Amino acid sequence: MAAEWFEFSAIVVGIFISFCMYTTLYGKPNPLRSWAEFSYLGAGTGVSVVISLWYIWTTAILNIQAGDVILIASIILGLMMIFRVHPEYSYISRLPLAFTVGVGLALSLRTIIFTSFLIQINATITKLWTGVPIEFLYRLTIAVSVITILTFFLYTTEVTGPLLLSSKIGEYLMYIGFGAIFAQTFMGRLGLFVGYMESVTTPAWKQPYTIASAIICLIAAFIFDKTGLGEKLSGA
Amino acid sequence: MSEEGFDLFKWMATYDKRWVYVFLFIIVIGPLIRPIGMPISVSKLTMGYYDEINSLQEGDIVFDSWNMEFSGYMELKPGVLATHRMFIEKGVKLCIAFGHFEGVAIPEVVFKELKSIMDQYDYKEFEDYIIIGYVLPNEAAVAALAQDFQGVIRVDWKGRSIEGTFLDEIENAGDFALINDYTTGLATTFEIRHMVLTYGTPMAVNSIGVSVPGHLANLDAGLITSLLVTTRGGAELEYLIGAPGPGLKSMDAFTLGHYMLIAFIIIGNIGHYGWSRRAAYRDRTGIR
Repeated sequence: MAAEWFEFSAIVVGIFISFCMYTTLYGKPNPLRSWAEFSYLGAGTGVSVVISLWYIWTTAILNIQAGDVILIASIILGLMMIFRVHPEYSYISRLPLAFTVGVGLALSLRTIIFTSFLIQINATITKLWTGVPIEFLYRLTIAVSVITILTFFLYTTEVTGPLLLSSKIGEYLMYIGFGAIFAQTFMGRLGLFVGYMESVTTPAWKQPYTIASAIICLIAAFIFDKTGLGEKLSGA
Repeated sequence: MSEEGFDLFKWMATYDKRWVYVFLFIIVIGPLIRPIGMPISVSKLTMGYYDEINSLQEGDIVFDSWNMEFSGYMELKPGVLATHRMFIEKGVKLCIAFGHFEGVAIPEVVFKELKSIMDQYDYKEFEDYIIIGYVLPNEAAVAALAQDFQGVIRVDWKGRSIEGTFLDEIENAGDFALINDYTTGLATTFEIRHMVLTYGTPMAVNSIGVSVPGHLANLDAGLITSLLVTTRGGAELEYLIGAPGPGLKSMDAFTLGHYMLIAFIIIGNIGHYGWSRRAAYRDRTGIR
């Protein structure tokens, strides 16, 4: 019974808090939004610290206990990073930082040249005709787009004649691409919103709490704005 | 009263943008409360993803990578539920890892929703799926895990030793039958670099909408083998496996939301064009 009540209250408070966050769309500061935002920051930081400590425990401490002593060096480097908060000894943190940057670069450079460069180029420079007309159209579109858009970004030569034509075509193809990306982005953002709304309207018992939270938050944002209390109470 | 009176074009070009949010809220929540049931079609991308998951055999071990936080999960939920329903029905073993600290709370929600089918197929934690926790925080961690799985992972999320489980078969990333990644764009690129490129393990991706163009390029280049696109892909997968869920329910709201955007673009452009043309006419002639 207690567990059910806890779950119920967590869901209802969660719905209300998220609508408090949505009051940011009203465009004026209000304490509901600040409360929701700071609650999330606090909870998020707490969870992050606990999960990170768990990660250190399972992947470092347990492995050291199992005989992987080289990981002691990682722990020491990690502890050196803490000196970053001390003005006098912050230089000590540069060593682990340099190590991290170096390792990161080495790891990514080994593979990024293939995944982001060679393989992508290889996939672009491919035979156009495969026997399927629609496939031909796709491949031709990619080939023409790549060539014309690349000519748009030629900076060390005067763009005239056929180069100018190619550059202009590339420019308009980019506009089409921007439109497609915007549509894709809208779909993605709408997907986040619809997904959330689906979760707060299913099962049906959540619906009254969702609608009530939306109405309460909208009215509260309006009142805070008109009375001037929003700015005063939100700490904005 | 205004000297100029009401100008429809001006209103269309300058109305308060907050009305867009109000309309969007109504248009989304309406069909979620009272679904209309608008038709959807199944795309080639989703068919490819379905075929890939469907080709897995009982006992295959999949690296189930949850590179998402709760906000991303809301968008990917239909795909996550439908894919796991397929995994459970096929008896696939799962090694579940997270790329975001929030991710650790998501399995409880997912497996609660799938409880009936898990009971039906006697699908159990530690026997059929093991949650190894938040182990994909950065590129070095992914590279280490891909190269020496047993050297990095010794316990599951609850601190139980993984020795003696189906994960004994995993030495490196090449031993997984598939990498299945639900992503908001966290460790996915690291997995492509260190698991797919190095060990040639096939990788299926269920991506949020904003990351789709990038993943399409990876699909085209053969770096990933199939792609499930946002909530829409999840809805199509629900349709294909005959298990309607949150995806199909969301499709009405999705479609109406897109119609709404088109309507607002048209209204805004008509307003802007009409208003600026009239303004130019007024400036030129002085006639209001």
